[in-house]
Amino acid sequence: MKSTYSSTRLSRPRSRFATKAISALCVGAMGLAIAVVPAATQASASSKTNINYWFWGESDIPGITKWMSQRIATYEKANPGVSITLVPQSNTTIISSFTLASQSKSGGPDIDTQWATLPTLLPALQGDVTPISNYVPSSETKHWLNTNENTIAGKVYAMPLYLIGVPLVWNKKLFVKAGLNPNVGPKTWSQFLADCAALKKHGITPLGMGNQDGYFGAWMFAIYEKQLLNSVTQLTQGVANVGSSQAKLLSSLTTMYTMLAGLIKSGYVNSNVESLSLNQGWQLFPQSKAAMSFTTDGNVLSWAKAVGEANVGVTAPPIWGSGKLASTYDTTQSSDEFLASWSTNKAAAAKFLAFLHTPANMVALNKETGAFPADNRFPTSDITDPLAKALDKLDTSGTSVWLENDIPPQIDSNADLPAGQLITSGSGTPAAAVALWKQQLQKWQLEQPTQFSLFKKWATG
Amino acid sequence: MSSASATLDGERPHAAAVKALRVHRRRQWWPYGYMAPVLVVLGVVFGYSFVEVVHYSFYAGSIGSLVWVGTANYRELVSDPQFVHSMFNNFKLLLTVPIVTILALAIALMINTTFRGVRQYRAILFLPYILPATAMGLSFSYLLQGNGVLDNLLTTMHLRFLIHDWLGSPSWVMFSIGGVIVWQQLGFGVVVFSAALLAVPGETVEAARIDGASWWVVQRRILIPQIRRIIEFFVILQAIIVLSSVFTYVYVLTGGGPAYSSSVMEFYIYQNGFENGSIGIASAGAVVLLAVSSVFIALYLWVRIRAAKEGR
Repeated sequence: MKSTYSSTRLSRPRSRFATKAISALCVGAMGLAIAVVPAATQASASSKTNINYWFWGESDIPGITKWMSQRIATYEKANPGVSITLVPQSNTTIISSFTLASQSKSGGPDIDTQWATLPTLLPALQGDVTPISNYVPSSETKHWLNTNENTIAGKVYAMPLYLIGVPLVWNKKLFVKAGLNPNVGPKTWSQFLADCAALKKHGITPLGMGNQDGYFGAWMFAIYEKQLLNSVTQLTQGVANVGSSQAKLLSSLTTMYTMLAGLIKSGYVNSNVESLSLNQGWQLFPQSKAAMSFTTDGNVLSWAKAVGEANVGVTAPPIWGSGKLASTYDTTQSSDEFLASWSTNKAAAAKFLAFLHTPANMVALNKETGAFPADNRFPTSDITDPLAKALDKLDTSGTSVWLENDIPPQIDSNADLPAGQLITSGSGTPAAAVALWKQQLQKWQLEQPTQFSLFKKWATG
Repeated sequence: MSSASATLDGERPHAAAVKALRVHRRRQWWPYGYMAPVLVVLGVVFGYSFVEVVHYSFYAGSIGSLVWVGTANYRELVSDPQFVHSMFNNFKLLLTVPIVTILALAIALMINTTFRGVRQYRAILFLPYILPATAMGLSFSYLLQGNGVLDNLLTTMHLRFLIHDWLGSPSWVMFSIGGVIVWQQLGFGVVVFSAALLAVPGETVEAARIDGASWWVVQRRILIPQIRRIIEFFVILQAIIVLSSVFTYVYVLTGGGPAYSSSVMEFYIYQNGFENGSIGIASAGAVVLLAVSSVFIALYLWVRIRAAKEGR
């Protein structure tokens, strides 16, 4: 018994010692790993400049992510010291991801894609964006198109990649089926409504769109609220609540939402508009399930492959409003690329962005995606496809405004998008939609006092 | 010598007692020592976060440009129709708790017997619970969208009067989300209840059967009362889940729409905090959500403590 006791007693300290020794070894090994591995990683990383690129563009220009990946591969081959990581963003993360990254001002992207104008300029006004013109000489930026969308006090904050227009596209075959002239698209609102009525009579869905994500409503705002305004200032000052401008803005919004409610009530838009995202709703057109759609140049060219180019017609959105901006078209750079202010690789990142604008890359962008590069060095004579030519003609026909660019992102996502959903889902009246705008404008002012005052300063020049 | 011996004899037990007491006292602190690392981690992860959330709830603006607004965010929440509606939607979803519980219990009782393929059947029932949210969201959006799979099926079955835009109609969207929650949580419930039923002593059931108890009486009078504690846990756990863990369902199925009609408190917090960068209002929303959830968490703890005492 004694010997058993002794051996047990002796074995316990030994076991404790062994445990302690193993634990110490483990802790030591972990400590060593923690100390050595990052050091080794840093050593290998220090030899390369790592650029983190948060990129968006696929829903504007199908195929652009592939084009970008190819450019990155080419650039990395030519510049072995640079490594670029492409992180594609979605419609729902494009703003929120950067907002989040900008709060910590560390990590996140070196280069970020953002929607043009206010989604870019508000972070810029808050100091989260470094003007790209600080790194790229004016001899280069002077070739970039539509830089006015992202310029404050002579500083260009972001680089445009492409220009897109938003035409009305129609399916000629379905027009013929409805007894309509397939070669003439609607120019005025009454023509548009007449075409819709004829199509509906023949069991064809006139307009194929999706609003589950709120973007059909936002597009109607961008295209048709604009047609009620005489200038963009009417919108920005209304948002900034300058004088009586907000009341006027809200009144014009009531008119616009009444028009949209009329379209829905008449059954001119696909009945499941509210449960399809904009991208999903658009698919009704290439599937020949809808006769018309408002879409981007890139999508038109992509859909033409599905339904046959001869069956596709494009025109500017029919004129409905009577404001001075009614005759303007809807071309925009849509999204842009900028340098995050906290990036430690700004010069290298800017160099890569400028590389994207080399003529060879711009031509490749057009060839591979059909997109029109936002660069005046791009030889438009290269565009030979008749449909692409028609789109290019629309894009470059005169003044263009994409009104959604000029509202703060919070107002866009909290007022513009859901207000349109109130109408398309039939759950709210135009008055309710406008009340939502008013409530969200007040909420923004209360929740983001600094941003509001920066915006107001910008809106009032 | 004898006195010295007596002293020595007297001191030895006293010293031993003191030593034993010291060891005992030291040992009393050991559990706290073992708990210390966890407490530190919890303190940093939850305690610090909680304090920061409460702190931020008194500010407006984004991090880097915060402005003190006192209790304005809380007043804003009360008057914000989107927040009130979101909270109401959370309460609406509480209705899924009895549905999940009753269905899961019924299925568990039905399969609480040995038949061929019972294990596979349980696995199939549990499968939805482990499906990734994105796959689930994608599948159900195709299934439930206007003119989607479900509507087409109803058309084929000549039930056109039942056709709805299940995700796009504000009147139906919460029912659809509730349905998906029931579908996914059901498997979890069945597994929990099945495990509890397996732990019920077979002799009890056997005795009841010998006494002439019917199948129904065995379920109602023997099995269900035996697993009452587990049912209570499950109900409270589900209530907590429905209140504070339904963001994924809403985000992947509807994005809170149409027009906020399917927004829940978590979604409201996400939208304000992450999309808008309005850390103050989001934090105030989080504090309110925590307060509401705390009622159920307290209930859960109370049930656990009571069960532990009864077990003892």
